[in-house]
Amino acid sequence: MLGFLTARQAGLDDPLRLRRAESTRRVLSLQLNHDRDVDRIHGNGINTIDIEVIEGRYMLSGGADGVIVIYDLENYTGKPQYTCKATCTVGRSNQHVHKFSVETVQWYPHDTGMFVSSSFDKTMKVWDTETLRPAEVFQFDGNVYCHHMSPIARKHSLIAVGTKNPKIQLCDLKSGSSIHVLQGHRAEILSVRWSPRYEHILATASADSRVKVWDVRRASGSLFTLDQHNGDKSKASSEAVNTAHNGRVNGLCFTGDGLYLLTTGTDDRMRLWNSATGENTLVNYGKVCNESRKGLKFTLSHGCSPEFVFVPCGSSVAVYALHTGELVTMLRGHYNSVDCCEFHPDYQELYSGGKDCNILAWVPVLRSPDTEEESKDAKKGAVGQSSVNPVFQDTWSSDED
Amino acid sequence: MEQAQRDRLSELVEELTTSGQPELNQDKMKEIKKICKVSTDCLDHIYHSVMSQLNQDHAEIRLSAFQIARELFSRSHHFRNLLVDNFQEFLELTVETDLEQPLPPPKEVAKKLKVSAIQTVQSWQASYGSAYKKLALGYHFLKQVKKVDFQDVEARSVAERRREEERQRRMDRIYRERVEAATRDMEESTQEIQATLTEMKSCLNLLLPDEFDLSDPWTANHSLQNSAPTNQCVAEDEQPCCSKDLREERECRGKKSNSVEEKKGKDEREERGKKKKKKKSGVEEREERKGKDPENSQKGNKAAKEGEEEEEEQEEGMRKKTDRTVTEEERNEVGKEEKKEEGQEVLREGEMEEEMEDEEQGGLRCTEGQGEDGLDEDSFIRNSGLISHSYSLDISVDPDVHVKETEDNEAVISTILDLDRLITTKHLPAVQSWVQVFTKSDQQQLLRRALDLKKSLEAALQKCKELHIDCKTRVRRVMKAYADEEPDNDDDDDFEEVPEKEGFEPLIPDHLREEYGLEPSSSTSVALTDKKPPSKRPVAPAPQSSSSSSSRRLKRLIEEEQDPTSAAATLHLLKQRLCQPTTSSATSPSQQPCLGPSTSTVSGPSTSVSSSDKRALEAPVVPFGLDLYYWGQDQPSAGKIIKSASQHQFWVPCEMEEEVENEELSAEGRSRYISFPGTFTPVSHYCRAPLANGTLCQRQDRVKCPFHGPIIPRDQEGRPSRQEDRLREEKEKRRRMEEQPDWRDVELMREIEAATGEDLGSSRLTTKGKGKKRKYPNLSDLKQNANTARSRLQRKVFSKSSMRRVAEAMSKADRRKHDKFSNQFNYSLN
Repeated sequence: MLGFLTARQAGLDDPLRLRRAESTRRVLSLQLNHDRDVDRIHGNGINTIDIEVIEGRYMLSGGADGVIVIYDLENYTGKPQYTCKATCTVGRSNQHVHKFSVETVQWYPHDTGMFVSSSFDKTMKVWDTETLRPAEVFQFDGNVYCHHMSPIARKHSLIAVGTKNPKIQLCDLKSGSSIHVLQGHRAEILSVRWSPRYEHILATASADSRVKVWDVRRASGSLFTLDQHNGDKSKASSEAVNTAHNGRVNGLCFTGDGLYLLTTGTDDRMRLWNSATGENTLVNYGKVCNESRKGLKFTLSHGCSPEFVFVPCGSSVAVYALHTGELVTMLRGHYNSVDCCEFHPDYQELYSGGKDCNILAWVPVLRSPDTEEESKDAKKGAVGQSSVNPVFQDTWSSDED
Repeated sequence: MEQAQRDRLSELVEELTTSGQPELNQDKMKEIKKICKVSTDCLDHIYHSVMSQLNQDHAEIRLSAFQIARELFSRSHHFRNLLVDNFQEFLELTVETDLEQPLPPPKEVAKKLKVSAIQTVQSWQASYGSAYKKLALGYHFLKQVKKVDFQDVEARSVAERRREEERQRRMDRIYRERVEAATRDMEESTQEIQATLTEMKSCLNLLLPDEFDLSDPWTANHSLQNSAPTNQCVAEDEQPCCSKDLREERECRGKKSNSVEEKKGKDEREERGKKKKKKKSGVEEREERKGKDPENSQKGNKAAKEGEEEEEEQEEGMRKKTDRTVTEEERNEVGKEEKKEEGQEVLREGEMEEEMEDEEQGGLRCTEGQGEDGLDEDSFIRNSGLISHSYSLDISVDPDVHVKETEDNEAVISTILDLDRLITTKHLPAVQSWVQVFTKSDQQQLLRRALDLKKSLEAALQKCKELHIDCKTRVRRVMKAYADEEPDNDDDDDFEEVPEKEGFEPLIPDHLREEYGLEPSSSTSVALTDKKPPSKRPVAPAPQSSSSSSSRRLKRLIEEEQDPTSAAATLHLLKQRLCQPTTSSATSPSQQPCLGPSTSTVSGPSTSVSSSDKRALEAPVVPFGLDLYYWGQDQPSAGKIIKSASQHQFWVPCEMEEEVENEELSAEGRSRYISFPGTFTPVSHYCRAPLANGTLCQRQDRVKCPFHGPIIPRDQEGRPSRQEDRLREEKEKRRRMEEQPDWRDVELMREIEAATGEDLGSSRLTTKGKGKKRKYPNLSDLKQNANTARSRLQRKVFSKSSMRRVAEAMSKADRRKHDKFSNQFNYSLN
């Protein structure tokens, strides 16, 4: 650290390097910290969370009972102990609340005044954050599994919506109507993602175990379909041709630079694809438990030198190194399966929501002060125990001697 | 950490967890703590061993492991860290948070584990929740997602609680309905019960008029009832006297030392004793008093002893319960001797006494008058005819009231008995059921009312019982009437005069006896033996033979026998009639094998008809048949078969023989098969082969013992007594020895092995037997639970061989489907 700092001072290093090293270190030290709490608002499982990118201050969460909550993540108290307050809630009493489980929520990428939510009640609602009223409601003929707005789009304001219908709907926020349909999948669409690099590139994952990449300007069909065997026909059985996974594909995520695409499937595999060519990079992540029948929201770190993947895996969140596939750590804290996680790029914090109604904040552990060594000694010895929290003390009774 | 410590810890954990005890062994736990205190490595080690034990599929192991964890959790921060880090798994294994991972059997222990784990988590949360975030999260998870109610010790899930509530509601409803029904019932029958009680009361009043029964049985406490009336009687009659006596006695005591007076008293006693009569207390006292008066006036002051005696007598009188006779007497006195017409003997006796006493009184009065003039003893004797002034008393007072039934009070008594029965059989059970219902549903008001009713009913019953109503007279009387009729019955022997009854059955099957109003079981055998013996031996008269223990039942039986319409009466008559003719006959049962209950219908009448003829009894009785019907005659149509010609009007088949003679049939008409299987002789010999435990085989097989072969004569020790048998047995033994040589005896080998430490293979010899010993004998066996009817059936039905058999049969049937006549049922199954 000191080396990085002096190098930075001397101008030897790219400023990015220090930043990357520090954020990597922070990501590696992510822990469940009792200094950071998130209000317990949801009375049911949490399906999705999203952190806005403009300020990095507000977090949206959608629950299985249709409730949407907005949290304020920013800690202005000056104390390390902070509980993220819910600033506003679309509760069950709200007349516009989703009737059924909210599957996806997303902030409008350019402004916190608007967010979009989609639900199993076959609607997608565009909300005005100030009034908490839907500005626009899109009706579909099937459960909406997912939607996504392009984070970089300047020339269009399309929302890709995956429903129970195999056709992907493209809704235009300008006109407030569904303007386009992408055909090609044979089963429900579990996940859709816009490329963060090219605003017209869209990746979709479906229960027919295929992942397709589209250019929305081309109406004729998809650009290509990801193939787990990279076109090697001899390895694939006839049914498995052009499939990304051997089960439902329920998670999609582009890397921050948009060069790679990550997919997860119910075959307990995670695959990394080259998003330009559709080639399977064959990174082996091992077994990634995945029993979700709906979409799975996983996320990637941002700004670290080896990037990390955070994948919900049962009741814990697995952290993998992106390119090596090495399992870095398991973040264990939830008491039921985890459905979604979101990375806060500014503070290197991770928020995860699961069926146990908790949103847990995984905060980097600050480097312990220098007194740490002493206090550790004190813990073993009998002196200096006052410096430690009394509940951390050992209480061996003397009669055991 | 040293290896020794590590091993010791593992050993201790295993011992503790496999002990199967609900609580941990404190000594071992202390040792664990002692070791763990040394270093965190030990804690790591023990944490892992505890977790591995928690993963065992046995609730007892888990419970013990959980208890160890609980002990350490409160001690060590490091252990807390370890456990909290893996708190999800810990909860899954102890609180059953994962539905797909239920707690293992046995069920009760699992439940206990769950409850204690939940309580523990709560207490942990209270003390450590603020410091360990995951602990708090786990607690909230249990509370909010799993909806565990930490206040509820039962640790029930929401569904369980709802079920419980549902059940409670249902029970409430049922109780409410019952209460309503009972209330309604009570409203309806209170009137009736009150009427019954009133009736009872007035009946009792009639029997025992109120003067003698001054305490109201319906309000008074019953323990007092015995003494109360007497007390009051005495008090009424003699209160003044008593007080007077007491005063006198007080005077007397002052002059106790006077010997002359003593003598006087003695004399007086003798004088009275001369009368040689038994006196009843009330009268007695009066007399005493009267006798005393002269003495007092004489200043010859009564002897202290006498005074004491008197006192005693009075007390006795107070204590004792008034006999009916006594009360009668007193009444007589009070009512100026009006009641001398009492018919009862006892009473008469009492009255006689009374008369005598009256005379006495007269005499005494004379004495009294003269006594004032200062007469001495002689003149007293002369005047009164009494030798002594005192007399000894012998009082025998029956402590109970006895009411005898007479013609006068017959109606009253029968009413009382009816009411008594009504109360015991109907009202009291009803009231008791109400009391139960009200107690359960907590209805104070109604409960009190019901209890009042019950109390009064019981009081009435008690009162009724205390009367000791002697109702046997009634029975005896009716018996007598019956006996009067009997001579007529004895005279005529035949059946003509017996009133024909519909469905008359001399023999009533056991299960029907209740219906016929007979004794269910005890007299059944009697009746049967009564039936049989006609040929056997003289039988005692029926009423004695029907030996039922309780007189009540006997009474009922007798009563029923007097009712000519009842089956019992018929049976009774029949019995008597059957007995009489056969009193002289005596035949051994072995001579009549055919005679049994099944043939008694025939044998009964036949024996009675031919009762005069002794020889006829000795003849075997056989079922009636055609051969008997045509006894000594030609059977005209025997063995002829008539073939029916066509029944058609016009169609006549070609000529055929209409009658066919069948030889066999005709022979059958004249013959009779009598099968004689011989008699059963029970086996009297034993196998007597020597057993391993030193005794002899006690099996009684006729020819061959299944364990020891053919049964041969043996001596005291069980050795064969014949030479060849002995040789054969020895040869057998030698052969067996060869099969398994002596030195390979398992016990011996085991001993040698234990001594030398070398494996001789004793285990190999035994393993074939009962299977291996269980590893942890203290844990409850989980497989044992599987031994249910279902599992046993399952083993049979789903065994490999049977499954294969079924599969074969099915596939065979399947193959047949493509055969020629596969669509026809006839062909499908063979």
